Amino acid sequence: MKKRSGIKWNKYLIAGLCMTGLVVFLALLGVFWTPYSTTSMSASQRFAAPSLQHLFGTDNFGRDIFSRVMKGIGATIWISTLVVALSGGVGILVGALTGYFGGIVDEVVMRFTDAINGFPSILLALVVISVLGTGQRNLVISLGIVFMPSFIRIVRSEFIRLRDADYISRARLMGVGRGRILFIHILPNIFSTFWVSVMIGFNNAILAESGMSYLGIGVQPPQASLGKMLSDAQGYLTTAPWYALAPGLTIVWIVLGFSLLSEGIQRLGK
Amino acid sequence: MITIEDLSVNFGRTEAVRHVSLEIPDGQILGVVGESGSGKSVTALTLMGLVSEEATVTSGRILYDDVVLQEAGKPRDKALYRRYQGDCMSMVFQEPMTSLNPTQRVGRQVEEMLRLHSMPAYSRESVPGTGPTAQGEACFPDHSTEAAREGGLRFCRSKQERQAMKQLVLETFAAVGLREPERVYGCYPHQLSGGMRQRVMIAMAIILHPRLIVADEPTTALDVTVQNQIMDLLREINGKRHNAILFITHDLNLAKRICHRIAVMKDGRVVETGTPEEIFERPKEEYTRNLIEAVPSRMKPRGRSGWEGSIPCPEPVVSVKGLQVYYREGGNSLFSQRKKNQVVRDAEFEIRKGEILGLVGESGCGKTSLSKAILGMNRDIAGEIVHYSTRPQMIFQDPYSSLNPSKTVGWLLEEPLRARGKLEPDKAMSAADMRAAAMEMLGTVGLTEAYYDRRPFQLSGGQRQRISIGQALITRPGLVIADEPVSALDVTIQAQIMELMRRLQEELQLSYLFISHDINVIYQMSDRIMVMKEGKILEIGETEEVFAHPREAYTKQLLRES
Repeated sequence: MKKRSGIKWNKYLIAGLCMTGLVVFLALLGVFWTPYSTTSMSASQRFAAPSLQHLFGTDNFGRDIFSRVMKGIGATIWISTLVVALSGGVGILVGALTGYFGGIVDEVVMRFTDAINGFPSILLALVVISVLGTGQRNLVISLGIVFMPSFIRIVRSEFIRLRDADYISRARLMGVGRGRILFIHILPNIFSTFWVSVMIGFNNAILAESGMSYLGIGVQPPQASLGKMLSDAQGYLTTAPWYALAPGLTIVWIVLGFSLLSEGIQRLGK
Repeated sequence: MITIEDLSVNFGRTEAVRHVSLEIPDGQILGVVGESGSGKSVTALTLMGLVSEEATVTSGRILYDDVVLQEAGKPRDKALYRRYQGDCMSMVFQEPMTSLNPTQRVGRQVEEMLRLHSMPAYSRESVPGTGPTAQGEACFPDHSTEAAREGGLRFCRSKQERQAMKQLVLETFAAVGLREPERVYGCYPHQLSGGMRQRVMIAMAIILHPRLIVADEPTTALDVTVQNQIMDLLREINGKRHNAILFITHDLNLAKRICHRIAVMKDGRVVETGTPEEIFERPKEEYTRNLIEAVPSRMKPRGRSGWEGSIPCPEPVVSVKGLQVYYREGGNSLFSQRKKNQVVRDAEFEIRKGEILGLVGESGCGKTSLSKAILGMNRDIAGEIVHYSTRPQMIFQDPYSSLNPSKTVGWLLEEPLRARGKLEPDKAMSAADMRAAAMEMLGTVGLTEAYYDRRPFQLSGGQRQRISIGQALITRPGLVIADEPVSALDVTIQAQIMELMRRLQEELQLSYLFISHDINVIYQMSDRIMVMKEGKILEIGETEEVFAHPREAYTKQLLRES
């Protein structure tokens, strides 16, 4: 008789957990404390190279880049989490209903998601923003809409796969209600697939948020944001390369960390 | 010819094969019989050099004539094996759908054997099947000199050569009993039936006249009638061409029919070898005896159940009148045309209270469609179905897909009670009562209370099927439809589950519609049987009556062939 085995650690999982752990720690810490104020400017400290005092150096206003990166990570992760929660939540609901019941509603919803997929995602988000106006809430809504189709599709295909499984047929014969079949009988079985897509979606959300802020329609100054910092640093690439490197490498670090984490989780099942 | 001496194969720390010694003399059929996990397939794959890289040979060796193919402690000699694979020994697999490439015409796939190996010399002057089959000539282990291998992989060939190859393939197709070899040559695997695909596989295996054919459960995926044809074909090939065959099966009866010798394997060991007569008439080992007894057969007295002994009880639990069942083909997308096929025609019967009605027929005859219609899972029907019991339950064939993998056994057993409580509030039970009922049911189906917290993936196939039965019976339904409930199980487990189902039927006064393709299983289980073919119910009657005096030609054929 097999014993239920504990978590089998693999290198992907360990590396991913370490990288994302550090990021999340910095983000949480940044909520309460940063080495310097993220908004206080100092004319004498402009473009200070990285040192022990200013770990990542200072920017064109003499602000500490490390502190701003900490705040920026926080904003990016928070927005991405909201985006994934919104689009994932809608994805589960709509995907489950359309996948399980099929029929004309399924057909209409699918063509609608096709239509959304037809637009370049950033462009579509731009349209939504220009309708709703800028601001953190509208950013989340616009990115949420952009990310919904992929979640709907993944959940839907899983529900289609499982709706005719023998154990679901049996649940129907027992007289189990539809809602219970959808969310108690089927849903737990798609979590492994769904979790991976959440991780990938989260990474894409981070990149999209950074992109939007880079374009100036995401997080608004003076709030710190990785994307905005990148665009500000553009003019000083040659004189103060650390200004661009710090937020850029941080984005790479976050995305890599979450990719490794999702890879590690995928390998857990095998 | 082939000698396996003291072979042990390990996968990591698990021993799959332990100290197995077998001998396959020229021209003989050796049957290896055992249940799943007994190491029979690993032995065969190791012999063929096809076992996965993770496996290590920890003791013993394999000899082909006097050449050592494999030896403990030495890595597999791939170059050596390549010379033997195909030319001297070939393999027929169980699943004819996955062992052929779906994107290539089967003729080309068989021809590839000829393209990769050089054409056997005999083929140039004679026809296979009638040609010289002296073993020395038929096998060319020295083929693969550099020149020959180059020749084998050459892409451009003369027209004559290509013609000759095609001719040989067509002749081999004819030899394995494929009618219209020309047509089959140009078919893709999905255009052929399971039996035809298996014949193509066999053609591929024999086209080079290897001295050994390893057949790993070649008939398990096929229907009984087709199974018999393939068995006859294997025997015929053995008789005509004198290839030795290593025949691997879980079915002792099949082995008995064609093998010269039988080896019984259990837990990686050979427990007994002998001629079929020795094995069946004087089994030495306890396990062999169990295995023989577990095989359902008409020779044994049938266990009597419920109503025949007591007062005949004509009260029906379900009656079906003029039932037509349709099946719509084509996707559920908006504009696709739907094709309507009728899968069950004019079904008319009733299932009586406390009886087991057996339903027998080949795959695709509409057995499952009929049962789904009775349960209301297919609404595309016409006719009348009257239920006299509430919420009939179903037991499925595949124990691996009939339990929700994300739940515990306890949860699964309690779920029917919860569902009933919702629908009929007066029957709602407290959590403690449900737990007690689940625990009791675990005992009833022959498991201990320790299983309550386990999950399906921790259970074996037989244990899962027990849980399925418990789940179906916990609300005491009047009618249970069992769709091939034992077909996916090993023989000994099969016997246990059949025993359990019959015991529960008597204890709880249930009615079963018991579906199977195996007429012997049906015989063991049923009070009355119903024979189905191509959607029609041909015959229905008392089991003994139907077996003794079958009315329909098809029933006679079924009885003869099993």
